[in-house]
Amino acid sequence: MQRFVSRLVLTLVLLAATVAGAQAGPATDTLSQSVDKIIALLADPAYKAPDTRPAMRTKLIAAIGEVFDMKELSRRALGAEWNKFNPEQQERFVKAFGTLLENTYLDKIESYTDEKVQYLTEQDLGGGKAEVSTKVVGKGKEIPIAYRLSDRGGWKVYDVVIEGVSLVQNYRSQFGQLLMHETPDAVIAKIAQKRS
Amino acid sequence: MTAALSRKCLLPLLLLSVLVMTGCNGRQKTSKDFDKAVAPTPAAVQTPAQAPTQPAAASAEAVAAKPAPAPVAAVTQTAPATPPVDDYAETPYKPTPDPLYYWNKTWFKFNDLFYSGLMRPFAKGYALVVPKQVRTGLTNAYQNFIFPIRFVNALLQLDFKKASKEFGRFMINSTLGIGGLMDVAKADPNLAPGNEDFGQTLGRWGVGDGFYIVWPLLGPSTARDTIGMAGDAAANPLTWIFGPWSIYGDDNPWYWSYIIKGADVFNNLPNTLEAYDAVVKPAVDPYTAVKDAYIQYRRNAVSQ
Repeated sequence: MQRFVSRLVLTLVLLAATVAGAQAGPATDTLSQSVDKIIALLADPAYKAPDTRPAMRTKLIAAIGEVFDMKELSRRALGAEWNKFNPEQQERFVKAFGTLLENTYLDKIESYTDEKVQYLTEQDLGGGKAEVSTKVVGKGKEIPIAYRLSDRGGWKVYDVVIEGVSLVQNYRSQFGQLLMHETPDAVIAKIAQKRS
Repeated sequence: MTAALSRKCLLPLLLLSVLVMTGCNGRQKTSKDFDKAVAPTPAAVQTPAQAPTQPAAASAEAVAAKPAPAPVAAVTQTAPATPPVDDYAETPYKPTPDPLYYWNKTWFKFNDLFYSGLMRPFAKGYALVVPKQVRTGLTNAYQNFIFPIRFVNALLQLDFKKASKEFGRFMINSTLGIGGLMDVAKADPNLAPGNEDFGQTLGRWGVGDGFYIVWPLLGPSTARDTIGMAGDAAANPLTWIFGPWSIYGDDNPWYWSYIIKGADVFNNLPNTLEAYDAVVKPAVDPYTAVKDAYIQYRRNAVSQ
């Protein structure tokens, strides 16, 4: 009997804990954990030291890769054009696009100093998707950044909206424009060329 | 010289914009790039019904006077253009009409060379010499000075909360903020800076983007926002003080208004270039990237 009661209490406590977590939003939780992890890596003095820096950078890229769904991001950046790519081209596209984003945004992320991330709201977009609105505050500036995440066995980011401008939609416009006149292979080559 | 010219050109320009905006539906069908866009854009559909036939300031009153029918049309017709946040993956690529592609591309390149090339070293030097606080102070003062634009447009959008917010900000910053040099009102989360303008007011009442247009020096815009610029100029105190209708007579030379506006652009150039780089540097197709970023930014501004 006592065992039963203790189990009941335990279940209730667990239930309460999950409910409390759900109020903040599961997507927000996943996102904030990843952001904290990334900030911790950047704030680590080892990141500044030249000899440990490459290893730390690998760790950072891995941490970012954990929370970003590069395949979904690529698929959405191509939109309907995605189906015009054969599987092998799709794979190369994801890789080239991922490297392009990595190269352009890693510098930005690494220039992190003391900005604070405020989590504002979590909006359910339906279909296992959510938008987490945040505000990055620092250096007398406030930048509204919203992350769109989808839940496929864990929340992962598939779009970033900065000041109302969706990264994915911006690239979709570009790729859409290019694909009007160019082949998928030419576009992939263009992306790969961009990174060097 | 150019200023007098542009003032004379204002009315024909407006009429031209309206014409092109209304004629945009037909234009769209002939243009090869857009025949794939199945649904006509909202601008093309609804502007004929509501295209302002008077100069901007007058049409502003007209819009304000009969707001009731407009939003209904807007809601029903804007719906297909802005899909509910998602499912982009399945929507085919629908570009904003760009009938002036070659003009736009030329001026895009020109603006890029001018600001990102020629002016960049000056902007960098300026940012180096003049402390950030001073630059921000100047921006604040100018923004405070042109408060009527935001105030009037908040009223035209029937957003009285925003209007009172702008009024409160103006009163507080003009006094405690020493003529607007300091944005003291910002400390109150309810008095965060706004950015309402006439283009947003038109958008609020259902006018779509229209086509994309790049202006020399002024940069990316749309047919709607170009008309908006004229409306903003009408609501800008600089126009009242230095413009042809100046309240203080001929003592104030007209070019001061342009010098002040130009100085504001230059003062903000370090920030503008930073924002520009953020769009252009990661871009595979910079022209389209800037175009899309502008359209998205404005649509977001209209929706807020």
